[in-house]
Amino acid sequence: MKVKSIIDEAEQLQLAIELIKLGARLQLLESQTDLSRERLTKLYKEIRGSSPPKGMLPFSTDWFLTWQPNIHSSLFLNIYNFLKVNAGLTGIQGLVKSYQLYLEQYHSIEKADDHPLSDEPVLSLIRAWTLIRFVDQKLLKTESCSCCKGNFIVDVYDLHEDYLCNLCHVPSRAGKYQKNKKYLLAA
Amino acid sequence: MEIVNKFQETILDEIRDANLNYLMLAQQMIKADKAHAIFRLGVNSDIADLIGSLSNSQLIKLASANMMLTRFRFDDSVMLGMLTSNHKGQSQAIAHSSILMACQPAQAIA
Repeated sequence: MKVKSIIDEAEQLQLAIELIKLGARLQLLESQTDLSRERLTKLYKEIRGSSPPKGMLPFSTDWFLTWQPNIHSSLFLNIYNFLKVNAGLTGIQGLVKSYQLYLEQYHSIEKADDHPLSDEPVLSLIRAWTLIRFVDQKLLKTESCSCCKGNFIVDVYDLHEDYLCNLCHVPSRAGKYQKNKKYLLAA
Repeated sequence: MEIVNKFQETILDEIRDANLNYLMLAQQMIKADKAHAIFRLGVNSDIADLIGSLSNSQLIKLASANMMLTRFRFDDSVMLGMLTSNHKGQSQAIAHSSILMACQPAQAIA
């Protein structure tokens, strides 16, 4: 599709720059802007200093249900829904604003941890975008925890009577693998 | 007869200080980025607009009320006990409280 006005194009470029800085891949950029693939690739190289990653986007709903990803993606989705209801933000603006707020929360969660994992946030922008589409397509939904009343992401087809969230009922081996991996790498 | 003693006077002063701090910070946040401010303050967009549009003299007038203008955001004692208990790590407690905060409805003008 051809971009008509120059102002419109400038706005789209601005959006693309912001998205790339937050970690977007070409598929997301292409779906949200009318800029050509070549220009987006160029822009990506200029900002990141490397070619955009190739290959498919993550497509599994299972990732959102494992322990640590579930906590982080629930946090993101709650922020997104909060902004949707209270600030009237939807679409790409809602995604950008809520992802920025998630990054802040992630930062303070990591800082409190004795063994900070990495600089890479648990939930990437692409995964956050995928999550919103999964929820829109009714593959995933949120369920209120019967203990803390917080909303957490669950599979639509699982049974959720007396649902306990991953933080009220922490699995025994939760989070151990990543820490061990970190030690192994350090050794 | 002394109506307000020294101790009470100090407390009232502190409340006014806290109110002024709160309002100024809130206004700054709303002007910088409204959507982020709405999330951080836990208010809806009507209240955000209202605070954002206060003039300096209005702000000072509002702050000099001798009642706290802010309210405690956790109103569930079970939840609060869970968050402050030492059963889990600090990072989990932060994640949990962030999720619960984001689940709560925003304060709105009735």
